[in-house]
Amino acid sequence: MNPTEELVALLDLEELDTDLFRGRQPETQRARVYGGQVAAQALVAAVRTVPDGYVAHSLHSYFLLGGDYSVPIVYDVERPRDGRSFVTRRVVARQHGRPIYYQTVNFQRPEDGWEHQDAMPPVGAPEDGFDLVDVMKQGGNAEADALAKEWGALDVRWLGNTRHGLEPDGGHVSQARMWIRLREGLPDDPAVHLAAFTYASDVSLLGSTLAAHGGNPAKTQMASLDHTIWFHRPFRADEWWLYDQWSPSAQGARGLAFGKVYTRDGTLVATAAQEGLIRPRHDDYTGPGQA
Amino acid sequence: MPRDADELLDLLDLETIDDDLFRGAQMPTTRPVVFGGQVAAQALVAGSRTVEPAYAVHSLHSYFLQPGDPSVPTIYDVENLRDGRSFLTRRVIAQQHGRPIYAQTLNFHKSEAGYEHQEPMPDVPSPDDARPVGRRARGEEHADQWDVAEIRRVDALEDDPARPARQRVWMRVSSPLPDDPFWHTAAFTYLSDMTLTGAALSAHGLSFASGEVFVASLDHTIWFHRPFRADDWWLYDQHSPAASNGRGLVLARVFAREGTLVASVAQEAVMRKVRA
Repeated sequence: MNPTEELVALLDLEELDTDLFRGRQPETQRARVYGGQVAAQALVAAVRTVPDGYVAHSLHSYFLLGGDYSVPIVYDVERPRDGRSFVTRRVVARQHGRPIYYQTVNFQRPEDGWEHQDAMPPVGAPEDGFDLVDVMKQGGNAEADALAKEWGALDVRWLGNTRHGLEPDGGHVSQARMWIRLREGLPDDPAVHLAAFTYASDVSLLGSTLAAHGGNPAKTQMASLDHTIWFHRPFRADEWWLYDQWSPSAQGARGLAFGKVYTRDGTLVATAAQEGLIRPRHDDYTGPGQA
Repeated sequence: MPRDADELLDLLDLETIDDDLFRGAQMPTTRPVVFGGQVAAQALVAGSRTVEPAYAVHSLHSYFLQPGDPSVPTIYDVENLRDGRSFLTRRVIAQQHGRPIYAQTLNFHKSEAGYEHQEPMPDVPSPDDARPVGRRARGEEHADQWDVAEIRRVDALEDDPARPARQRVWMRVSSPLPDDPFWHTAAFTYLSDMTLTGAALSAHGLSFASGEVFVASLDHTIWFHRPFRADDWWLYDQHSPAASNGRGLVLARVFAREGTLVASVAQEAVMRKVRA
């Protein structure tokens, strides 16, 4: 299997019972579970419980405990609402009998309405970007090789941030931009593209909170606290999309980041938000639950 | 609905029914459904009652599930999702008639130091030079039920063709709150559900007052960055990056009058044409 097929398999959950699923772990050299994996597997669990004709349009989630990479994750789905236009699911991800992550997903039956969107900023082509793993290596990130393996399905081309490569922007003090796609083609099922995008959306968002600072991400204790996505329009995750990220604020060891997602033709297809812990690293750190 | 700070505090002073179980009262209103900001603020109070004072709320994420019934109280049931050293998490379900109407998750953080940055406040006219708006300014009947909020619209926005849907208002609680920062957080949460969808409608020449559009909040999110007074003017700088499929998303920055970025807000709402 190529890395993209491996990712598709990772996001294909085992159904244990009605509304109860099990997600396996990837082969990884990192002693932690990647948050984007948990978010994507939880989304897949929710999607499996929703009638045909409803499409996920938003998810809100909190990370509670660092995941254990040595055991599978169980996803337990509740059904808070089955409405005519909107359906809501809540997914608890758990290990060792404890919740590690909560996600609420809202689904809508597609309808017509007013349309507008922000314009895509003028940026360089994906071919002009730097490979994100190379950028991380140059930054001294000791996990770069392990991440390159775990994120093997993702092609990430870094265009720059506030300190390197991006034009100064008086309105945004901390920014980062990159192009992302799945390296190989995905199946046509739109739900697979949503899940693969969700997996990729956690790669870099929190890093944009450090773009205003000299702080080295590799020497900063970083942990996602929450993760939110609004899906505006369908798109293919295996074709280039621009992740235009900015951080309005950091304070009290937390940073907030937003990301707008544009396809190459300039369509705004999603908006993401994440708050995370950003503090000088301590050697005994094991995850946000112990923090 | 509360007409001043004292009535708002009464509304937010929940009755404790049992550990982690609270009841929120209603106030007289002509609205057929409960105002979303009331449910969000009462839920925040319920969640906060179950944590030690050393922890301050720094974010809430929530979904509106059913319209609230203003003729019966709302029950708030708090679940403890995490008690960590630095972070605590609570989930609050608001229910009426045995059904969940609203679900909110709150995260609390023990104060610590770290990196600091914030985006600068845009250059805008002061509240004294902004135009009073809202139902009272329009001379609507029963407008006094919204009197807890003072709202002034900033009419002139600098040109930004890349962002077609924007709106700026100054807001404050119309009478003084106690000094305890918690009540400013709660009062802000109540007010934060006002005006937001207007930013998405603005790109289409529409407003709440036009009668052409049905609007309902789907979700509501607040990240609290820094303490501030909700009874002093704050700038609600709103921007809608996208509308599609009958929904509009609005992101907003909240600046205290002297320029401190104190909170960020996000809300997605249904926006439908009203059938003639």
